[in-house]
Amino acid sequence: MPEIDDRLNPYDPGEYRNRFRFLFWVVLVAVSLIVVRLWYLQVVQGQELRVRSENNRVRLREIKALRGIILDSRGVVLVDNRPSFDVIIYPEDAKNVRNVIETLEGLYRKHGLELSEDYTPLLETKRPLMTYRLDRNISREKLALVETHALELPGVAIDVMPVREYFFGESMAHVIGYTGEVSRADLEREGGGGNLKSGDVVGKYGIERYLDPKIRGKNGGEQIEVNVVGKKIRMLGRVEPTVGYRVVLTLDSVLQRAAWDALEEKAGSVIAVNPRDGSILAMVSKPSFDPNLFNRGISPEHWERLTRSPLHPMENKAISGQYPPGSTYKLIVAAAGLEEGVITPDTAFNCPGTFEMGTRTFRCWKKGGHGRVSLHRALVESCDVYFYNVGRLLGVDTIAEYARQFGLGTKTGVTLLGEKSGLIPTSDWKLARFGVPWQPGETISISIGQGFNTVTPLQLLNAYCAAANRGVIYTPRIIQRVETEEGQIVQEFPPEPMRTVDVSRENFEHIVQALWGVCNEPGGTGHALRRKEADVCGKTGTAQVIGLPEGTDARQVVFPYEYRDHALFVCFAPKDNPEIAVVVVVEHGGHGATAAAPVARKVIDAYFANRKPS
Amino acid sequence: MRIDRRLLYSFDWMLFGLLMAILLIGLLNLHSAGASAAGDPPYLKQIRWIALGLVLMFAVICVDYRLIIRWAYLIHGIAIFLLVIVYLYGTVTHGSQRWINLAGFSFQPSELVKLTLVLSLARYFNDHKQPEAFTLRGLFIPILMVLIPFGMIVRQPDLGSALLLLILFGSIALFVGVRWRSLFLVASTGLLLAPFVWNFLHDYQRERVLTFFDPGRDPLGSGYHIIQSIIAVGSGMFFGKGYMRGTQSQLKFLPEQQTDFVFSVFAEEWGFLGVLILLILYLAFILWGLKIAQQARDYLGTLVAYGLTMLVFWGFFINIGMVIGILPVVGIPLPFLSYGGSSMVGLLTGMGLLMNVSMRRYLLHHD
Repeated sequence: MPEIDDRLNPYDPGEYRNRFRFLFWVVLVAVSLIVVRLWYLQVVQGQELRVRSENNRVRLREIKALRGIILDSRGVVLVDNRPSFDVIIYPEDAKNVRNVIETLEGLYRKHGLELSEDYTPLLETKRPLMTYRLDRNISREKLALVETHALELPGVAIDVMPVREYFFGESMAHVIGYTGEVSRADLEREGGGGNLKSGDVVGKYGIERYLDPKIRGKNGGEQIEVNVVGKKIRMLGRVEPTVGYRVVLTLDSVLQRAAWDALEEKAGSVIAVNPRDGSILAMVSKPSFDPNLFNRGISPEHWERLTRSPLHPMENKAISGQYPPGSTYKLIVAAAGLEEGVITPDTAFNCPGTFEMGTRTFRCWKKGGHGRVSLHRALVESCDVYFYNVGRLLGVDTIAEYARQFGLGTKTGVTLLGEKSGLIPTSDWKLARFGVPWQPGETISISIGQGFNTVTPLQLLNAYCAAANRGVIYTPRIIQRVETEEGQIVQEFPPEPMRTVDVSRENFEHIVQALWGVCNEPGGTGHALRRKEADVCGKTGTAQVIGLPEGTDARQVVFPYEYRDHALFVCFAPKDNPEIAVVVVVEHGGHGATAAAPVARKVIDAYFANRKPS
Repeated sequence: MRIDRRLLYSFDWMLFGLLMAILLIGLLNLHSAGASAAGDPPYLKQIRWIALGLVLMFAVICVDYRLIIRWAYLIHGIAIFLLVIVYLYGTVTHGSQRWINLAGFSFQPSELVKLTLVLSLARYFNDHKQPEAFTLRGLFIPILMVLIPFGMIVRQPDLGSALLLLILFGSIALFVGVRWRSLFLVASTGLLLAPFVWNFLHDYQRERVLTFFDPGRDPLGSGYHIIQSIIAVGSGMFFGKGYMRGTQSQLKFLPEQQTDFVFSVFAEEWGFLGVLILLILYLAFILWGLKIAQQARDYLGTLVAYGLTMLVFWGFFINIGMVIGILPVVGIPLPFLSYGGSSMVGLLTGMGLLMNVSMRRYLLHHD
């Protein structure tokens, strides 16, 4: 044992008493500081931090609702849903977003794949918190790749999005419409109380848009507990999404297809309705677009091509195309003439091929003229001079009054967006619009559906439905009902009579008889509709796009496409108990009789061939 | 080895009891903190380290601390030598080089150096006891004793351990008395050198200091730790979430939850109430340590007991201070609670010395 030096020099720790007292207080203050801070965190802020700790581990994942399916009147599914997979990243879970994305890209590259989305905005965000979509609508190969490498990809998840599958593609695009990601404008329209969130899918066009709130359904969600890398530990709760209501249309997919095929590659539209209740059985507009392209956001190139095309594929020409009605307008003038008493069915006018009005000369389409014709032959052969005479006797305002009664010049009220109203001119309208009084010569043009007159194909068809029904017009309807998945009716769209045209039944019979003659009598312009059942009544129309200088023979000029006449044909059948009415407009197609009537014929034939036994 | 039988009567049951209580809580807590970890449960490994530490503790108790302190410089020298080994051959984990592998054991010399520094300083100031305050000239050797390991540990880099060395040195120097002028000179030199030290720091270290002043600065980067820790601590509320039921820790939102942030696990699961009990145990332990220092038989005993108590106190204060957001995140383990063999063995050996001082305080008077 070594010597211990201070043994004889007793140590007095007392001299350090003050230092120890000071130390005692230092320790006490330090511990108090900790206690105060812990009190603040655990008691004062405890509740708030408890909630944060819950949020930390609980993720809400939305489960997108399936949109309601759409059926035709036969029960054929027109639109269904299919899953589409996206790769998303939760930056909060990924921690190092750049590394994770690079890992993913590396995996892809090994298989010759690449990400569809540009992620630079994500990397440029200072504190990214929102989930970010890295790759949209991925293939099965990518899906398998991401799933098998889940552990190397913290924060990366697969998001399942239901997307629309439009079985009839282009042929029904304008009616059914398409869906897309909700736009800022949509969000603002729904307002603060709306159920829409950015990233949701909404109907953008057609029925999809019109019935969107009903078709949309309600998104569900699941609360899942995740660990620090965002991987699911267990499910805490789940609210099932509610499928949107399904829609039954009045459309008949068989007839729709027939109409689509009948129009071939021409630009224009075909509509078929049941005149007895206004149900639209077919509605085709060409050229069209593939609604499936819009599901996950259309590419800019596609969009450009669609919107820039001079043929306006995005437009539903059946309701938003506005054309001079041409000779189809003679229905209105004839009805007005008879009803106003300026003519009787027996009143005859001489048609020498031309009609003099002041200094102007108006021509009949038939160069040599029709000779002396009464109403029946005038309609059958579409004599212009006859109607010039009737028009002159009626005056523009009376004609306009009848046109309005037949539903022209106003929207029909069909439940589709983008409907146009057309134009039925009056003398007041012209004065207000141009500050120039109406010229009597203009009435002459109006009498054969030229001049300022424009109508939409649907309006025109509706007017002929009035003739088919001998007076009653229905609001065209395309939706039969909205129902739940189980078939419980949510909303019905019953046939709605719009008005009864104030023309006597007797006068209608005269006109209908003439329209029957158009298709069935020798010399009728609608001979293409001469079926062996002899049941179609119709009227041809050729709408001039530009006026010709006097003395020019239109048949001897070759026009560029955009100046060619529009070909129209409108008809219904059978004559006395009509079930179907069809309008065909072939843009720049030339003559109604040769370009439009054969299309209508195919539709009528298809209708009777596939008619449902009622 | 001769053991004085009187030692048995003066065994410091208070210190030993407090130590055992804290160690037990630490093990329970580690059991929970490591429950979600893969591989060997860390609390089992910790039990082995504690066992080894207790063996060393009792071994140290048996020999008079004055004899042990005679070897202080040598041990300190060995510790510094080990730091050199670390620098040359150490294994790199998480971007810093702190470990050496000895016969299959990983070992952190920086933990050992904390203990040997205290002992060497105790010896130096005991050998150079003077009634008047120390001047810079008198502090030259002690400053060397701290600056050499300090520099090596900063290089590793392990900012926390390095700072703790400085703080320990400061605590002991202030205790033995330093002239105000010298103190002022050291402090101002330190302030002047701070910008250079700032340049010397690694990016992540700068980030941590900046983050301390504004944790929201980078919530997904270095601020993440402290934010998650504060959420964990606060969400424990008054009664805690229950043992093994802390979501922050069990779901691994809490970083370094077995080592630096082990206190957050405890606070989350046991709440304010549990934390208060733990704090009282630590407070009692530290005050008891100071009492031992005050009542030591000799000046050396006072210095040794004081230094060791400060080692516990600063570790305790800085660690808890950082996990509750009142101090920067510097990475110092919580004495007795954090998982880690080197720290635990070093500390328990040190506590053996503390108990050694405590048990021998009366011996002189009975001679």
